[in-house]
Amino acid sequence: MENIIMVENVKKYYRLAKRDKGISASFQYLFNRKYEIKQAVDDVSFSIKRGEIVGFIGPNGAGKSTTIKILSGILHPDAGNVKIKGYIPYKQRKQYVKNIGVVFGQKSQLNWDLPLIESFELIKFIYRIPQEKYEENLRLFSELLEMEDFINQPVRQLSLGQRMRGDVVAALLHSPEIVFLDEPTIGLDVVAKEKIREFIRYINAKEKTTIIFTTHDMQDIEKVCDRLIIIDKGKKIYDGSIEQIKNKYANSKTIEILLENNEKEIRTFDLNIAPMNAVMENLFAQKNIKDISICEPEIDGIIRDIYGGRIVLDNMAAEEN
Amino acid sequence: MRAYVEFAVKKFQDKMAYRLDFFMGIVNTAITIVVYLCIYKALYGEAAQVDGITYRMVATNFVITLGLSNAFDYDEMLIEHKIHDGSITGEFLKPVSFMLRLLAENIGEGVFKIIFNFIPALLFTMLYTKLCPPKSVLSLIVMFCSVVFGYLILWLISFIIQTWSFWLLSVWGIITIKNVFVNILAGTLLPLWFMPAALRKIISFTPFEAIYFTPVRIYLGELDGVEILSGIAVQIMWIAVLGVIANIFWKKGVKKLVVQGG
Amino acid sequence: MGEIRVILQSLKMSVHARMQYRAESLANALAVFIRESANIIAIYLALLKFDKINGWNVNEMLFLYSILFLTYAFVVSLFADLRQFSDTIREGRFDRLLVRPRSLLLQLILNNADLIASVGHGTLGILLFVISAGKVGIHWNFTTILYYISAIIGGILIQGGIFIIFSSLCFYFVETNSIRSIFYWNMRKFAGYPISIYHKAIQVILIYVVPFAFVNYFPAQYLLRKADMADYHEIYIYIAPLVGVVVYAIAYLFWRISVKRYYSTGN
Repeated sequence: MENIIMVENVKKYYRLAKRDKGISASFQYLFNRKYEIKQAVDDVSFSIKRGEIVGFIGPNGAGKSTTIKILSGILHPDAGNVKIKGYIPYKQRKQYVKNIGVVFGQKSQLNWDLPLIESFELIKFIYRIPQEKYEENLRLFSELLEMEDFINQPVRQLSLGQRMRGDVVAALLHSPEIVFLDEPTIGLDVVAKEKIREFIRYINAKEKTTIIFTTHDMQDIEKVCDRLIIIDKGKKIYDGSIEQIKNKYANSKTIEILLENNEKEIRTFDLNIAPMNAVMENLFAQKNIKDISICEPEIDGIIRDIYGGRIVLDNMAAEEN
Repeated sequence: MRAYVEFAVKKFQDKMAYRLDFFMGIVNTAITIVVYLCIYKALYGEAAQVDGITYRMVATNFVITLGLSNAFDYDEMLIEHKIHDGSITGEFLKPVSFMLRLLAENIGEGVFKIIFNFIPALLFTMLYTKLCPPKSVLSLIVMFCSVVFGYLILWLISFIIQTWSFWLLSVWGIITIKNVFVNILAGTLLPLWFMPAALRKIISFTPFEAIYFTPVRIYLGELDGVEILSGIAVQIMWIAVLGVIANIFWKKGVKKLVVQGG
Repeated sequence: MGEIRVILQSLKMSVHARMQYRAESLANALAVFIRESANIIAIYLALLKFDKINGWNVNEMLFLYSILFLTYAFVVSLFADLRQFSDTIREGRFDRLLVRPRSLLLQLILNNADLIASVGHGTLGILLFVISAGKVGIHWNFTTILYYISAIIGGILIQGGIFIIFSSLCFYFVETNSIRSIFYWNMRKFAGYPISIYHKAIQVILIYVVPFAFVNYFPAQYLLRKADMADYHEIYIYIAPLVGVVVYAIAYLFWRISVKRYYSTGN
């Protein structure tokens, strides 16, 4: 399958005004500002094939949203190239964006005071969706997401989950080939999350839609994505399947040791290098141990450990491309 | 007291964060002064005085009024917003009086405006036109007291209307209409000297005359000894009356919110 | 064709949204009406005492003012979203416009139309026109009516263009409210008087920088022919309706250039 998205060595910097406390500092701020440069995206490359679902994760401020903005044509990269479906997103905006759908989980595109259906109508005209196609998509989507009950209610009366379903539909009505979802499950309850996940999988299976989404919820990733990209401090630190990361780091065990003097120690071992019995022997020989508990790594824990620097990804797991 | 001074200082610092707004604000005030002086000059035409009031007195009245109304420029929707987003209840828990704290913050903003906006603009426009000097040093000092009282009257009127947001969905419309009353009846748009006699009589029974016009007349020496005292007495009377009303509305509003849970 | 449907749907949504709060909308429209009347009352009271301002009597002043209100009634709805454009950017709503396959301005026009303000300003504009138009000695015929209508359209375009230029400045500066309040709100207030009364520098601003003089003063001069027109070249009267087209075109170009900046900085 051909690569539909290609990102090469993309960099993006921001300039932030620095502000100190105190009256004299505020005077200085008034007349002579200092700036610092923040590297939001620092030399990121990847490519995505048609029909892939890729999860994009990283701690807050890691550069996920900036990357999504670059991909959707809202921002120009300061260096590097982006090519999506043959377009350079930020150069051929109007042509390019016909092919994409974007959900900004934190910023609804629905009109607060009006029923969902009115916002959908506007989108129909904006994207020039033919009437039959519009009706067909609307019927299908509202059935899948169980929206019939609230499609005629003003958005302000909807629950967050209902509203987010509305936002997902709004982004997909024009049957885009590529969809960017920036935290589409943020703040939702388990049921609503599950509905949205199912919907994403369905659209992907049926239309071969390429989907990239960012999330903080590992369940999203495990249940929906084929592939996982992790970024931290603007750099890509992992790109590969979820299985791979699990197999690799599930081999590492984390042990919590309670010493005689009631101090706690946490240690992580790679069982391929140091088998459990060797580790234990070693520990018992060195320390006075009161209790030991072994923590089973789940993907959540692995990711947390990666963010926290407790797991250092030694080599970028084999990229398939 | 210390805490309230801190609130005022903090607000003052916040204001300084906006550089462009700051410089443009000065330009804006200067332009406004020049424009209105042009308008008054055109109204006077060749006349040296109208009803015993000279162009220069009108100009002085305008400048003092503008300075004061500039100082009185803050977010009058604050209480409504705090009620709507629920943060008002947090204010009840704090060990300071919300009303005094708000006053301190608004004064902080006002002092900022006067020092960094009004005075530079005033100095600039002094190059353009001459204003009346104060009658005497004493009248200048007394005017400053009167200005503070005038500010408090205006602030209390605004506060009372803001507290109505405990009962009303939106007070935007009422605040807008209140400002129309202030602009006309307190003489922001047209000096009270030139109001039709009947209207002037009515205004003298309202707090509006005591906001800008009393300080201006003290400055110009239009009032003599006893009149100054009675003018200030009227101001203090209005502050007392409005202060009581404000307290009643505030307490009732808080009670309603606590009882009904918003 | 597609463009018109987008605009019509935006308008329809604005109407429906306001209808949700019928009583409040009506009350606010009234508040706007009263607020805007304040300046008129002040002028009326001033002219009770002073009779004329630079040769203009009270009816002529009301006529001059009515054009400001009538044009603004359109501007405030057509370009409502540009009034607080810095908020549109800060809240991330501009990102949404960028990922839609339409011209950005098209998506902004009539969006969140402030119909309340339109009703408030419009009512006042019509009222002032009705009160004054018969008493200022205008001979209404085909030519004058045609001129009047094109001047109104020109006035809408001038103010729309100014809105677009100020919105474009949001791509360069974080805080543009102060610039806007000087060069739009205050200049508009100043345009309520015959500009001939002002200091030369302010006249220059009103004619060449923020050309409010072409919104109401010169069009009113075509119809009223007051003596102070002697201060200006006759040509200003005739080009007044065209100035709008020029200002709007310049604004559009400036907008196109400025939007590019957003791509490199974001919000």
